[in-house]
Amino acid sequence: MDLDYSPVLDSWQFLLNGLELTLALSFLTILCSLTLGGAIGLARCYGPRWLAAPLVFYIDSMRSVPVLVVLVWTYFALPLVIGVTLPPFWAALVALTAHISAYVAEIVRAGVASIRAGQTRAGFALGMSRAQTIRTIVLPQALVRMLPAFGSILSITIKDTAIAAVIAVPEYMNRSQTVAGQSFHPIEIFTVAMAVYFVILFPVTRVVDIVYVRLAHLGRS
Amino acid sequence: MNFDWSVVWRNADALAEGTKLTILLAVTTMAIAIPGGIVLALMRLSGVRVLSSLSACFVELFRNLPLILVIYTAYYVLPVATGFSFSPITTAIVALSLNVSAYNSETFRAGIASIRQGQSEAAYALGMTRWQATREIVLPQAVRRVLPVLASTWVSLFKDTSLVSVVSVGELAYTSMRIRAQTYRVLEMLTAMAAIYWLLGYPQAKLVDWINRRYAVNE
Repeated sequence: MDLDYSPVLDSWQFLLNGLELTLALSFLTILCSLTLGGAIGLARCYGPRWLAAPLVFYIDSMRSVPVLVVLVWTYFALPLVIGVTLPPFWAALVALTAHISAYVAEIVRAGVASIRAGQTRAGFALGMSRAQTIRTIVLPQALVRMLPAFGSILSITIKDTAIAAVIAVPEYMNRSQTVAGQSFHPIEIFTVAMAVYFVILFPVTRVVDIVYVRLAHLGRS
Repeated sequence: MNFDWSVVWRNADALAEGTKLTILLAVTTMAIAIPGGIVLALMRLSGVRVLSSLSACFVELFRNLPLILVIYTAYYVLPVATGFSFSPITTAIVALSLNVSAYNSETFRAGIASIRQGQSEAAYALGMTRWQATREIVLPQAVRRVLPVLASTWVSLFKDTSLVSVVSVGELAYTSMRIRAQTYRVLEMLTAMAAIYWLLGYPQAKLVDWINRRYAVNE
């Protein structure tokens, strides 16, 4: 088996642009998902009771449908419903955010629920308001406990952006396919792609683990 | 805007075939990945340096790669590396099994490691052998922690089988998208696809929640 890595070198700029888009899409998705998912999670814990049922339905539905299906539906079918065609990048951002927010909301709920009720009661006993108790007692502890789960969300998001290749977002996976198709050297191209994704993802999981070990004592009560 | 939902019923047979293949892929992969995960976890815990680092490398590699990339790579590399040509379904099962075995291995390892040392020490103090302590004290407790995680992995796997549509395995996602391309009934077919995944996945997600509550560990 003769391996020839020259196609990778010849198209390095094309691939690098793809990689930049992968990172941009990951970053924006994480930002939007943490915001939206955080809001949904808190609304489910502390919001009005009638809101809980639709939120649970949304969260569980997103947990039960493949992200590929959400991506394809958002890109191809949603325009027929709303009459506006989203460019692939924005369709991917919307779909990935819709999907990952549900997971973030679950993490937030589990984190808040893991703080013993005694903590809230102690806050009330000290004369704190509900908002104060949540903000100064529950959330700081809950956030530390959520850290490892948020770490997996980071790596899941980066991995899921590769699926956006299916709706022709020109990110790294998609660009690799293009180069593989043009150069007839798929093995070399995909081996390099594996190395690139591993080099990005492995440190992410490690750094989150290390940060958590440093901070874990703050979440104990 | 006019929609014609009859296209879904006219293609019901093809969709049923696709759904069957989706389920078959998930079942086969899990049947391979559970023994695979056990072997990897035993290698990791064996105390033999070579085995445990091999297992660690395998697990870290496949946990840190997008599955869709593993599927593409398997599609192109397997025939060249082995000299045989593989059917798309075999390729899909190989790629999915590599991924899920890595996750299962971590599940088993963490499950066994989560049982406090004091438990096996207490067993030794009672005169049990190492094998007895493992079989009667550690494993029964570890199973309770492993089962809910395996259930979540199953649901992820069930959804991830949709990714093998990119190497033209005729499962549910591929079948729906093929019919969409043939009939131009985009919204109808894609919504039907989402609905079928939802109908199959939603009860599973709920079941996983139930298993998690049922097997919550109070030490």
